[in-house]
Order: sequence, then structure tokens, then C-alpha cells
Amino acid sequence: MAEVEKKEVAAATPPWKPKPRPIVRLGIVLISHSLLVSVVCCTAGVVALFLLPMLAKNTYISENALMPGSASSMLSNDDISEAERLAKDLTSLNSGAADAGIERRRVLAKYLSDLGVEVGYHKFEPHQNQFHPLHFFSSPDSGLSRENGSCSSYGINVVGIIRAPQADGKEAIVLVTPFNFRKNSSSEALSISIGYAVFSLLSRVTWLAKDIIWLVADSQYGEYASVASWLRDYHIPVFSASSSHNADSCFEGNNINLLREESLDRTEISSGFRRAGTMAAALVLKVTDVKGQLEDTLSVYAEASNGQMPNLDLINVVNYLAVHRQGLRVKVEKFLSVLRWEWIWVLGDTLNFIGKVAGSLNPEWKFGISTPDYVEGTATLANSLYRQALGIPTGPHGAFRDFQVDAITLEISPKVVYTNQGRRNEFILRSARLIEGVVRSVNNLLEKFHQSFFLYLLTSPAKFVSVGVYMIGFALLVAPLPLVAASLYVDANKPDPSSQGPKHKLQINFKPWKWLSAAKQVFTVHAWGVFVSLLPYFISQIPNSTPAAHSIIWFSLSTFGLLVLYLITKSHSKPQKGEWENLKSVTISVVFIGLLLMSVVNFATAQIGALVLVPACLLAQPLKLDIRDASLKSFLRIACNVFISFVAFPPVGFFVLKGVNEGFGDMDVGEFWTWLESLWAWNSATYIYIGMVHLPCWVLCLHILLHSC
Amino acid sequence: MPTANTEEENSKSELQKNHGGGGGFTRWAVVAVIFRLALIYFPGNLNLSSRPEVSTPLTSIRRLAEGYWLKQSSMSPYAGSMYHGSPLLLSVLGPLTVKRIEGQPSHILCSLVFVLADLISSILIRATGRKLQIAYRKSLKSLNLLNKSTDSGALSSGDIAALVYLWNPFTIVACVGLSTSPVENLFTILTLYGAATGLAPLAAFGWVMATHLSLYPAILIIPVNLSYSGSWFYPPAPLSPEYTYAPPSKLFRSKEHGKVGDGKSSQEIIFSWRRVFHLLVWTSLWSVYVLVLCSISVKQHGSLQEMFQRTYGFILTVEDLSPNIGVLWYFFAEVFDFFRDFFLIVFHSNILFMILPLAIRLKHRPCFLAFVYIAISSMLKSYPSVGDSALYLGLLGLFLDELADMQFSFFLFCGYVGVSLLSPVMHNLWIWRGTGNANFYYATAMAYACFQIVLVVESVSSMLNHDRKLTKLSTSKLQK
Repeated sequence: MAEVEKKEVAAATPPWKPKPRPIVRLGIVLISHSLLVSVVCCTAGVVALFLLPMLAKNTYISENALMPGSASSMLSNDDISEAERLAKDLTSLNSGAADAGIERRRVLAKYLSDLGVEVGYHKFEPHQNQFHPLHFFSSPDSGLSRENGSCSSYGINVVGIIRAPQADGKEAIVLVTPFNFRKNSSSEALSISIGYAVFSLLSRVTWLAKDIIWLVADSQYGEYASVASWLRDYHIPVFSASSSHNADSCFEGNNINLLREESLDRTEISSGFRRAGTMAAALVLKVTDVKGQLEDTLSVYAEASNGQMPNLDLINVVNYLAVHRQGLRVKVEKFLSVLRWEWIWVLGDTLNFIGKVAGSLNPEWKFGISTPDYVEGTATLANSLYRQALGIPTGPHGAFRDFQVDAITLEISPKVVYTNQGRRNEFILRSARLIEGVVRSVNNLLEKFHQSFFLYLLTSPAKFVSVGVYMIGFALLVAPLPLVAASLYVDANKPDPSSQGPKHKLQINFKPWKWLSAAKQVFTVHAWGVFVSLLPYFISQIPNSTPAAHSIIWFSLSTFGLLVLYLITKSHSKPQKGEWENLKSVTISVVFIGLLLMSVVNFATAQIGALVLVPACLLAQPLKLDIRDASLKSFLRIACNVFISFVAFPPVGFFVLKGVNEGFGDMDVGEFWTWLESLWAWNSATYIYIGMVHLPCWVLCLHILLHSC
Repeated sequence: MPTANTEEENSKSELQKNHGGGGGFTRWAVVAVIFRLALIYFPGNLNLSSRPEVSTPLTSIRRLAEGYWLKQSSMSPYAGSMYHGSPLLLSVLGPLTVKRIEGQPSHILCSLVFVLADLISSILIRATGRKLQIAYRKSLKSLNLLNKSTDSGALSSGDIAALVYLWNPFTIVACVGLSTSPVENLFTILTLYGAATGLAPLAAFGWVMATHLSLYPAILIIPVNLSYSGSWFYPPAPLSPEYTYAPPSKLFRSKEHGKVGDGKSSQEIIFSWRRVFHLLVWTSLWSVYVLVLCSISVKQHGSLQEMFQRTYGFILTVEDLSPNIGVLWYFFAEVFDFFRDFFLIVFHSNILFMILPLAIRLKHRPCFLAFVYIAISSMLKSYPSVGDSALYLGLLGLFLDELADMQFSFFLFCGYVGVSLLSPVMHNLWIWRGTGNANFYYATAMAYACFQIVLVVESVSSMLNHDRKLTKLSTSKLQK
């Protein structure tokens, strides 16, 4: 924005002022060399992006109160054997029986109430994520209208709460273990064992300052749905009698068994919804079987909806305890296909070499990075960017972020499937001690997490790129936009000496408002973008059709809409001078505003979007002009323009990316629809970005390319 | 807010498209009203009435409903620092807030009142624009500057201003978001209309009501007086064309010297003290009337003194520091308590300091002066909302002919669009996500203030340039 101002100031400076202010002169220089500046800035922006793995800093624990690992673990083998007994009881139940789920819940509740903690059931109806055009813009609580769904499917979570003996009960720490009560799964039983071992220890300790909630989430309808609905009920009490009555009547009709069971245990199990204080942090614990690992590993998943991340301190604590206390290998997800790219390795070698040369010149300069580190970092960074850009939570922890609770999913995978009880106990001991340590650290917190970063990208479990660093690359990438917009605007609105009217007449010319017609066009195309983004809501209502059919209907309707718009707004007048410059200027300004907004909402989307849109917008120039010019430069530009506008079309871009990652073998038109459906089902802002910024700007670029000037 | 971008572009594109006369205006006004009604009937998912950009402590309908409830339960409506508006508004809108029609969104009646207020405002703006344009033409004619090329009969600035007001997303959001600013704006516009048409009672009534509702329009008394008493741009009586004004009076003098034998009276433009007195009498009459009504309204549970404390006092002492799009809340949240009074005086006198110089420089264009005052006060007022911006952006359209050469129009447009989209996102980042903080949101408020400053500075300088151009042209004609 500043550049625009500067440059407009420059444009406004009347010629009789010999020496404008320095800032104005700087603006004039920048604008008159906008081509050079934009090439330099864009290149620097892309280079800065590839330097990010090198610029990553080691994580450190920023909040002093956390003090991870300062206390020795109190977990004993008794806790573990008790936990194993519970796991055996759970798995020994016949999984085929219809009421096995209820029986398992009863067993679990029995064990919990034997510990002397409060136990409760939480019944919920899993909500299907549905696209609602307004949910993007409304505040969190308005999307919670309870629909009168069918009563046939519901889930029941088991919740145990330990009240901190000497605290006022205003804060709580949440442990979540997803568990499918209907099925027998050894790994889920293992996670229950770990959870129970920690929970039984915590029910005895005296140092608790926060209540502990253990949520055994019924995962038969998905892990996320059960956790999300429990959180909703926890945070938003239902006061209106009608809706709660509706839900209850549902359960009464269908779940006689459970009611009977509750009447048996009435003394210990409360029927109402139990709450503790505000949540300081939440840990989701999962155990998975992954074949072919060299050691026990811990995978950390942190991305919540729209690229939100938990406070970095939480990841730091887990990482510190897992690596330095329990000797687990900590992993974050990475793009394996990046490791196969040759040019990344070459780039890594080059950077390594440069770092070495710099180090030999001056030992103080230590920015070298070994090639494998660089490639690993790039792969992790790419995954981190991709996950954040999708805006889809990577696990049940995402539900917590919607209520401003920091949460991560810890996925522990043992080296082998343990058959030996001793080895198995040792694995449980290590995992449980990790959880215990994290809980103990969080328990020390005086305030909620605030010290460390919320905006960062991970390049390895112990390395991160903070917002201050990655924003530089982005800023460099988008900086040419206002500059070029301003220079185009000035060019298009230069006073034309030939058409100047007689001086002595009062001429009201609306020349400075000429951009309005361009703005009208841009507005029309963006309105079309809104129309296209809303279409899937209606298309998805069509019964019995495949994703491929959906995509084809969507595509044809959108094209039809565009054609209609074109026919309505088509002007038969001869194109005026400076028309396409004005149009390009307005388009670039809109792209700039859109990217700026998106970088605040979800940085990763904006970064990836800028990589495509910035060159597309900057290079766009009517093909007619280039063809008329017929020089090497213009042919190069034509080639670039055609290539970029081909790739920038969202479906093409999607399939190209998919092909690069997974090979161009089997492509299905429906896949794009399925992918977008997942975006809108999770209310990802990326969907809005694609529909309302990317697609209209792509159309406008195309329009400029085909402009008849 | 997400549609703000599109609508603003729409409204601006009106500028170009709508060259058709009255028919075009009526059609677009009807569409605007239908659009508002559609938004009102929309499922209440937008939650506009709780947005800080739309409803301030002074204009929120929820607070008004609370005040009405307090009053109904025999308490002072001002108890508990909830309501800070006028008791008259409470009496008029209060009963409407509790009326529910089965199957309709709540507050439907209030919404209809606001839609009506918007419609009337736009009609008044259009009428004011007509008057201004006639005066402008006359003055051009008197300077022999009116030629065919300037006589762009199809393009009426009044129509455009009215449509800009109606279709401005800020106006729409303020209206649909149930803030009382449409009513406040209506009275401000009524003042200007009264002054432009030379109806002293109407101008005085509008001024008294606008001041009563939101205090800041009090400074409009100067342009109203200039406009009414000086008859600068519209002669209430058939005086000689020289009176009608446009360019600075110097020009007329030189012109008089040039053609002495013209037979026309060589009077200067006179500031008529008789007319000032006339206006003041009406003003005091209406003030007394409004005060009596207020005292009747608050008599049972409070006093006039309490009313002044809770309305004007609340505005002047900036008690409520909840975030809004203005610049004062953050400052007074940070400032040490013992400096508070000092800075209160500094900030409020900021507006007052600008009154006199502007009045001297722009005295020949009272309506434009009023626009500048409104823009400045909506920038520096203690609880600004988008409704205030809607008012001055609408009035800006009135000076289309004069401001045609304005610089930075594109830059300002982008700035307004960008800030109005960025501000809710920053608010969300701070309040809901917790990853941002107050500085993020305040940064957009400062950017917004900067854009407003640029707008005011640019419009004033291009208006003065326009006047200079007129002077130059007419003197060159005289010399021929």
C-alpha cells in the first residue's frame, strides 16, 4: 500500500516543483523501474522461500514455569499392571455381541469409579459436516443449531474427571484417547492402557493444581466428531429446554440398555454433564501399528483448522521429554516425494557448499546446513505448508483450537507388535511417563500458553521458522503488486497532450475516474466467483450422482454463467487507450488485497497462492500486442503466459500437483470435486480463497491476455 | 462484510452507469430497499449487530432494548451503564424492540424503521444535490463559464450521491446491523437539506435533533449559518445572480469593476445578521422543545442532569474502552490515569481547532464545509462506526462536478476496500483465535484513520484547485 501511495504521490507531483520530498523521489524511482524491481523482488521472494529450512531456528522452551523434566516420574509398575488388567477386560469381551459396546463402557466406568474419580457419560449425535455458505463468516457459536437428525446413530463418550485436591477447580488439563467401543483393536487397547496408567497415578498425586479430564472418545463415527461434540457441549451449555429435550427423547427411545445400566450404578455415575475449569491444554493420545520401524516413534500432529497451530511451547515440551527423558524418536510428517526430487538435493549441495565457503571466509558465519538436513527440512516444511494451506485439522486436536485451547495429537507407534508382556509393559511405562511429564509441566502453568509462537512452520520436531522470518519471503513476493499497479495506473492515465481541450473553457473531465469501468468489470467477475463458490451447495443436493457428474455439472454451469455475463456486459465500442492497463491495474490491486487478507487468515494458502498468482498477474499482457511485436522477448512472454494460465486454472493445477506427487497414472475427474468437498466440509478458508480470489483473478488474467486492444 | 468489496465497487460503478434521470434513481432506490429487506429476512447468521464496526455503545440496538426494559421496570434507563442514547429514541424505538411478529426475525420493526430512514436520507440528499447543482450552474452562468460541454444534463450529482449513499456497503451494514446511526444520519442530512433550501425551522430542527442524538453534529451550526444566512449558493429571494455564489468574492469584485455599467447592483455578498438571528431563534425554540420532551420522558426515574451525564458525558469522557474502528479506545486504555483528563481535552479540542480555519477558508462553500466537518468528526469521535463513514461518503458524491479531478481516488478506493475487509479478520484473529492481539486490530483502525485523512485532504485541495481554476478562467475572460 505504501508503494501505491508513494507512487501516486509521485504522479500527483506537479512539474513546477523542482525538488519533491525524498520519499516521493524514492517512489518515483521505484515506479519508473517497476519492471526491474518486480523481477528482483519476485526472485528474492522465491529464493527466500527455499532458504527457509536454512533459516530455521532450534526450538527452545520459552515459558519458564513449564520446567519440563525437573521432577522425577512417579509412575510405577502397579499402575501399569492395573492398566493392563483393564485392557484385558476390555479386549476379552466378545466383540460380536450387540451390547459389547455398552459392556465395555460399563467396565471402563467401573474401573474409573474404583479410582474414586467422577465418571460421566456423554451422548452425542455425530454431525455430518455440511456445507453452509454462511458458516465461513459467522462467529463460532452460530453454527451450532442442532438439527433434528435421525436418532438411529449416536455415540457415547466416557469422561473421567479428577478434581485437584488443593485447587479451586477453575482450570483443567484434558487427555483424550479415541476408542471404538464396538471393535476390538489391540492398538486402541494399548492407548487405553497408557491413558489409564497415567490417570490412575494422577488420581493419587498431591501436586495437582488443575483438574484432569480423561475423555475416552467414542470413535465409531470418527475421532474428530466425538471430541468436537463433547467440546461443544462443554463450552456451550444448552439453556433452551426444547433442544435438550429433543436430544434426550431420542436417547430414551433407543438406549434402554444404557439407562438400565445407569440405574444400576446410579451411586457413582452422574447422569448430568460434568465440567471442570477452562482448559489449559489438551493431549490426544493414539497408538498405531506401523510396520518396519527401527525404534519406537512418536509422531506429533498439530495443524488445526485453517492452518492454526497450538503454541509452540506445547510441542517443545513434548519433544524435549520424548527425546531427552524417554528416548523416543519424534517425527513430524513430511512429503516423502520431495526426498526423491533430484534438484532439491542439488540445491542442498549448493547451499552446503556456499555455507562452507562462507564459513572458511569468516568462521563467525555459521549458516551452513548439511544436504540431508536441508532436504529433510524442505520435505517437512513442504508438508507443514501443505497441511496448513488445506485448512483441514490433522486430528481430533483440531476441535480444541476452535475454543482457543492448545492441543496436539501424539501418535505413538511401537517398533513391533509386542507379544512379550515385559516388553509391552516397558513400552507402556515410557509412553505413560511422557504423558505424565507433559501433564506435570502444563500443571505448573500460571497462565495459559502465551510465551511462545502461535504462527510458525515446522522444519523438524526441534526446528521452526517463525512468522517474522517467513513473512519476509512473502512480502518480497507480493511487493511488486502495488508497484506495478501504480505504474500501470499512471501510464494509463497520463494526460494526453493531443486531446487537451481549449484552455479557456471549463472542462469537467472524469479522467481520474476512468478506473471505475475497469473496477466494474473486476467486480462483475468477482460476483461470478461468489456464484461459482456457492454452486456446490446446490449441486451436492442432487441425489444419486457421482463426484464426476457433480464436477461436470459444476463446470458447465460456471462456464455458462461466465458466458452469460460476457454477453450482457460486452461493449461494442472500440477499445479505448489504456483500457487493458487500467483493468490490469485494478486486477493486481484486488489480488494484492486478497493475498494480504489471506496471509492473515491462513498464511500457507497465501504463500502458495502468491507463487501462482503473482507471476500470472504481472506477466499478463494482451497477446495481440506481443504477436504484433514479434521479438524474442515477446515470444518468451507468450510462452510464459500460456503456460501459467494453463497451470493456474485450479483443476489443472490440482491434477498437475497430484501427478507430480503420485504419478500421472489414474486420474478421475471426480477427485477434484471430492477434494474441494473436503475443503468446504471443514469450512476451510482455502475454499473461499480459490473461489473468490484465485478463480476470478485467473479469469481476469485470461481476459487481459485475449484483450482486443 | 465479505460482500463489502463487491458492493462498493457496485456503488461506484453506479457513478458511471446511471446517467438516466429520475427513472434510474427510483429503480435503483427500490432495488436498494429490496436488497436491505432481503438481508433482514436472511437467517440471522451474519450477527452484524454484535460487530464492533457496526454497533457502538451509543448506537447498539441491544443496549437500547436493555434501556427500554429498565424503563419498563420502573428504573432509570441509564442505570448500570448500558444505555447511552437519547430518551426520545427510547420512547420511539423502545416499544418496537419488544414487539415480535410470529415467524419473523426479531427487531423486524426496528429494521423497517432504519430502512425507511435510509430511504428518506437518500431522497433528501438527492434534493440537496439538485439545489446545489442549480446554484452551481447559476454561478457558472453569472461568470459566463457555462458552456455546452459542462452542461452534462444527464449526470446529476444529487442522484449519484443518493445512490452512493443507498448502495454503500457501509450504509447497508449499518442499516441491517440494527445500529441507530441511520436515524442520526437522517437528522444530519435533514439539517443540510434545510440549510440548502433556506428553511430555517427545518434546518434548526435537524440540527437540534442531530446534536441531541450524537453531539458531534453540533459543529454543523457554522456551515448551516453560513449557508442560510449568507445565501451563498442558493438565493432564497430573487436577488441578483451575483449572490448565488460560487467562486471567492474577490472574483466578483473584480468582475464588478470590469462591467460597472451593467446596471446590476454592486452589493457584496452580505452575511446577514438578521438571518442568523432568525435561525438562532428557531434553534433555541426547538432546543427548548426537545429538552421539555426529554424531561417528560426521564422525569419519573431520573433527571435531565443524569441524561446529560450519561449521554454527552459518556461521549466526552470516553468511558467505554471496548474496541471499535476509532483511534481513541486503544489510547485511553493505555494512558496513565492521571494524564487522562489532559489527553481528553487534547483529543476533543483537535476537532475544535480545525473548525475556525476551515470555516474561513471554505466559507463560500458551506455544504462542502459541512462535509469536511462531518468527515473530521467521524474520524476523531469517541465511538465511531461505519455508519458515520457512510454519511460522509454519501455527501462526497454531492461535489462530483467539483471533485472530478481528485487525485488518489483509486488508491483511496482500494484502501477503503482493503481496510474494511481486513478489520473483521484482525478482530477475529484477536478475539476468537487468540493468535493475534489488540495491536493487530488497532493497526487497521490507524490505517483507516489515515485513509480518511487522505480523503479529506485530497477533497479539500481539489475543491480549492477547482475554485482557483474558476478564478483563472473568469479573469482571463474578463481581460479579453
